[in-house]
Amino acid sequence: MLSPAEYEILILSLQVAVTALVAMALPGIAMGWLLARCSFPGKALVDAVVHLPLVLPPVVTGWLLLVACGRNGPIGAALHDWFGIRLVFDWKGAVLAAAVMAFPLLVRSVRLAIELADRDLERAAATCGAAPFRVFCTVTLPLAMPGILAGLVLSFARCLGEFGATITIAGSIPGESRTLPVAIWQYTQVPDGDASVWRLVLLSMVVSVAALVVSEWMSRRLGARLGAA
Amino acid sequence: MRLEIDATVRRGTFTLQVQTTIDTPACGVFGPSGAGKSTLLALVAGLVRPQAGRVVLDGVVFDDVASAIHVPPHRRRLGVVFQHGHLLPHLSVESNLRYGERLVPDAGRRVSFDEVVRLIEIGDLLTRVPRTLSGGQRQRVALGRALLCSPRLLLMDEPLAALDRGLKRQILPYLRRVRDTFAMPILHVSHDLPELLHVCDELLLVADGRSLAQGPLGRIAGDPGLLPLLHDAGMVNVLRGTVLAHADGMTSIALEGGSTAFGPRREEAAGSRVELLLRPDDVALALRPVDGISLQNQIPGTVLRVTAASDRVLVTVDIGQEVLVEVSGRTVAQLGLQAGREVCILFKAMALSGRA
Repeated sequence: MLSPAEYEILILSLQVAVTALVAMALPGIAMGWLLARCSFPGKALVDAVVHLPLVLPPVVTGWLLLVACGRNGPIGAALHDWFGIRLVFDWKGAVLAAAVMAFPLLVRSVRLAIELADRDLERAAATCGAAPFRVFCTVTLPLAMPGILAGLVLSFARCLGEFGATITIAGSIPGESRTLPVAIWQYTQVPDGDASVWRLVLLSMVVSVAALVVSEWMSRRLGARLGAA
Repeated sequence: MRLEIDATVRRGTFTLQVQTTIDTPACGVFGPSGAGKSTLLALVAGLVRPQAGRVVLDGVVFDDVASAIHVPPHRRRLGVVFQHGHLLPHLSVESNLRYGERLVPDAGRRVSFDEVVRLIEIGDLLTRVPRTLSGGQRQRVALGRALLCSPRLLLMDEPLAALDRGLKRQILPYLRRVRDTFAMPILHVSHDLPELLHVCDELLLVADGRSLAQGPLGRIAGDPGLLPLLHDAGMVNVLRGTVLAHADGMTSIALEGGSTAFGPRREEAAGSRVELLLRPDDVALALRPVDGISLQNQIPGTVLRVTAASDRVLVTVDIGQEVLVEVSGRTVAQLGLQAGREVCILFKAMALSGRA
């Protein structure tokens, strides 16, 4: 059904999106909790930095990442010297771009979900002898889970669709950084690319709808248990 | 149990300033709404921190602002029953019950799961989730969860306030049973005096963020200055006596002080000591015994005090024990009520309710 090239594009896109999602899940939940429940000096600044990719043009974010993570950039040089990791023009760069772009969406969802979790229940758990981290894992997290899941799905979709930052830092190398949106853009640039564009457009619609269906199913199950549905 | 509190808590414009030592096994904290009762309980539970002072339970310092000591709630080993239960909605009833039990070190475990389940009769509910429970069931599970924490002190914050009257009556015996079975110290917060009297031996009267009086109800009620406040908070009389006999669906009781009262049929055998509750507004006064009237109880006594309350007058009558009667200002003038006046107190048999 899919040509080997299309298959490669699909697998690469899923690989990038899933890796980005796994990489940002824990930091995203931690950041959401931090912004929802803690007050500390410089909180407004942290909040702003986290949300910056949401308001900046993606290509700007991509360029900043390129500067920071390029061979001569402060982060890029350290990664290369210590771990031999190269980000620029590499699928790991695409992962970085996707994760940075989707991070604010995840943090926003998690933050909202944790703010809505009933603090009285957390207090009740504490009086039962549960230390704060246990309260977080056994009360806050399960209560916030529908919102966190929604955030994860939203972020996954954002990762799949990431274009501007990705092409800036990772380029459009087949099998390396040519994800679905990058490939679609590429085909729009060649004459007679319409048929290929259509096939890839349909493919990305199928993937996105599948993600939505899965998330709907999961939140329904959770909602039924929590009594919210 | 010995709970020493000498602390100040400020929350917005409200200040709670309490200085008290509680050493009865079951103490009821009572006062009008907004008096600071729940804040006091939150202070003991560690859910609010005092701005000044100390909280010490059995020699263990929970809070001492001067030495910067604050033991967080999860290290206090207390059990708390909240007004709305606060069961964890994502866990089954059994997991809720075991939530605290699991965290008690083996050496400190004094309460067994099976015993609690049997005592508060929740065996049928274990696999359910909280949202499918009725209000009364939810509070029983919350009580069970608190008990299974094997607490050094059981705190109850208006545990029955969210329930209607009928349900309250169903749950009260459980509280009483818990108190007698586990010999666990209890601090019970409520604005409902009859509820407290079911469970507690002593009361701590709180109003406007201060502790005003402490001791058995009889002693607190003896203070004319506190009577209006007690009355507003649902003051009831506790009459002590001995069961005489059961007849005609009724029980006759020899009250302390020599008179006899008739009340609804009771379970206790003749000779048992009982305590009965009588609401001040269920009692009428007459200057002499009245003929041809359906009221079963007419007991002679002497007026001790006449105290003006908000829109009512409270008359304390000595019938061998003190009985508080609520009348209108008009009645006082018409009957010429004053200290030393001989009167009869009149009430229906049904007005006498049992204490448990």
